[in-house]
Amino acid sequence: MAEHTVKAFDEDITRLRGLIAEMGGLAEVAIAESLDALVRGDETLAEQVVARDKRIDALEVEVDKLAVRIIALRAPMADDLREVIAALKIGGVLERIGDYSKNIAKRTNMIEGRARFEPLTLLPAMGELAGEMVHDVLTAYAARDPDMAREVIATDVKVDGFYNSIFRNLVSYMVENPSTISSAAQLLFVARNIERIGDHATNVAEMVHFAATGVYPPEGDR
Amino acid sequence: MTVIHPDMADEGAKIRARDVCVYYGEKRAIDHVSIDISPDYVTAFIGPSGCGKSTFLRCFNRMNDTIGAAKVTGLIELDGEDIHGSRMDVVQLRARVGMVFQKPNPFPKSIYENIAYGPKIHGLAEKKADLDVIVERSLTRAGLWDEVKDRLEDSGTALSGGQQQRLCIARAIAVDPEVILMDEPASALDPIATAKIEELIDELSGRYAIVIVTHSMQQAARVSQRTAFFHLGKMVEYGPTSEIFTNPIEERTKDYITGRYG
Repeated sequence: MAEHTVKAFDEDITRLRGLIAEMGGLAEVAIAESLDALVRGDETLAEQVVARDKRIDALEVEVDKLAVRIIALRAPMADDLREVIAALKIGGVLERIGDYSKNIAKRTNMIEGRARFEPLTLLPAMGELAGEMVHDVLTAYAARDPDMAREVIATDVKVDGFYNSIFRNLVSYMVENPSTISSAAQLLFVARNIERIGDHATNVAEMVHFAATGVYPPEGDR
Repeated sequence: MTVIHPDMADEGAKIRARDVCVYYGEKRAIDHVSIDISPDYVTAFIGPSGCGKSTFLRCFNRMNDTIGAAKVTGLIELDGEDIHGSRMDVVQLRARVGMVFQKPNPFPKSIYENIAYGPKIHGLAEKKADLDVIVERSLTRAGLWDEVKDRLEDSGTALSGGQQQRLCIARAIAVDPEVILMDEPASALDPIATAKIEELIDELSGRYAIVIVTHSMQQAARVSQRTAFFHLGKMVEYGPTSEIFTNPIEERTKDYITGRYG
């Protein structure tokens, strides 16, 4: 894209995009590490995930401030305007993804009998898929690539599929072995959180598509 | 080639221009521009200096006739009537298509006379009482009545710049025009006077077809519902203002409105 006549405008936009990229990177790591902590029962790692979420929150505030400043001072138009609005919304969504990971991490010490608790092994694959969605959608954001954004949206059905099968699995586990109910219920929440992360990555993908093209992706994609 | 946004068909045209070219001597300032100006909306012409937007605006009431070296070709119709046709009286045309300029230019006469002059020479009022009505109505519509009603005999030139511009708009309204052309009507005014002019344009839209040339894209975005982008004498893109400013089709339009132009 050609440069703005006012160079400082370009610097502002670049900085905004940098903040979103940093938030996305942290959110991606948080997903992976929260599940790692949960599966291995690593409470130290869980605490780190919780602590690092503050950084994501702080970045969201920075994104908000900068976006408002750009709108006030630069009066962006057309794709610049869409870019700033998208960043504002994406920042909010990434913050939420961070919260879900924090929530997963907080459940680390609520799982009992980890060694023989089979449903625990189902979650990392689901988390990996959701993490990939977040990773890919940020790549699409960086490249302003609407096609890649649509691929991310298409991936969400797989995450939903994972959720449904894990849900059924956990319910049958609880029926068969009522002593696992409390731990299994925790894992239901975890699965639900990952499912929500997939939905949020989809929302980001829609914003990336909007920022790049001016229109939302076709209904069939969503 | 002009990109015209699709969802503007069937709006009807107060002014219809087809293949209009304007030459200043050898130089072609406007290059085959065709446009339909809606009767119901404010239409803004934007574009960099020298793109021809003011020249094109001045075609609509044949102001270019006053420039010796200027030659206009192509068809311009007002309500389906050729404005260059032999049956068109140019004085009458300019009453129907009023104009407001960048610098307020009140007559060096009283506020009252500034408004009353047009209706008088066009025979719109016979008695003083009729004139009084027109003066009050025009000043009220221009949002100036309350500020000047107690000093109608003061000179128009004694008003502030913003008031003078509203006086000029009231003067244009007084002869009951169908179209009002505005060439940078607020560029010599402070932000508050500008806001009053913009509010006034909003009030007047619907009653008159309004075409405004402006350098301020923010202003175009604020006051217009239709925007045409001009560049190097050509109309590059014409569409609903909200579309032009959020999702323009042409790369040149985008570069201009996002501040990337040359």
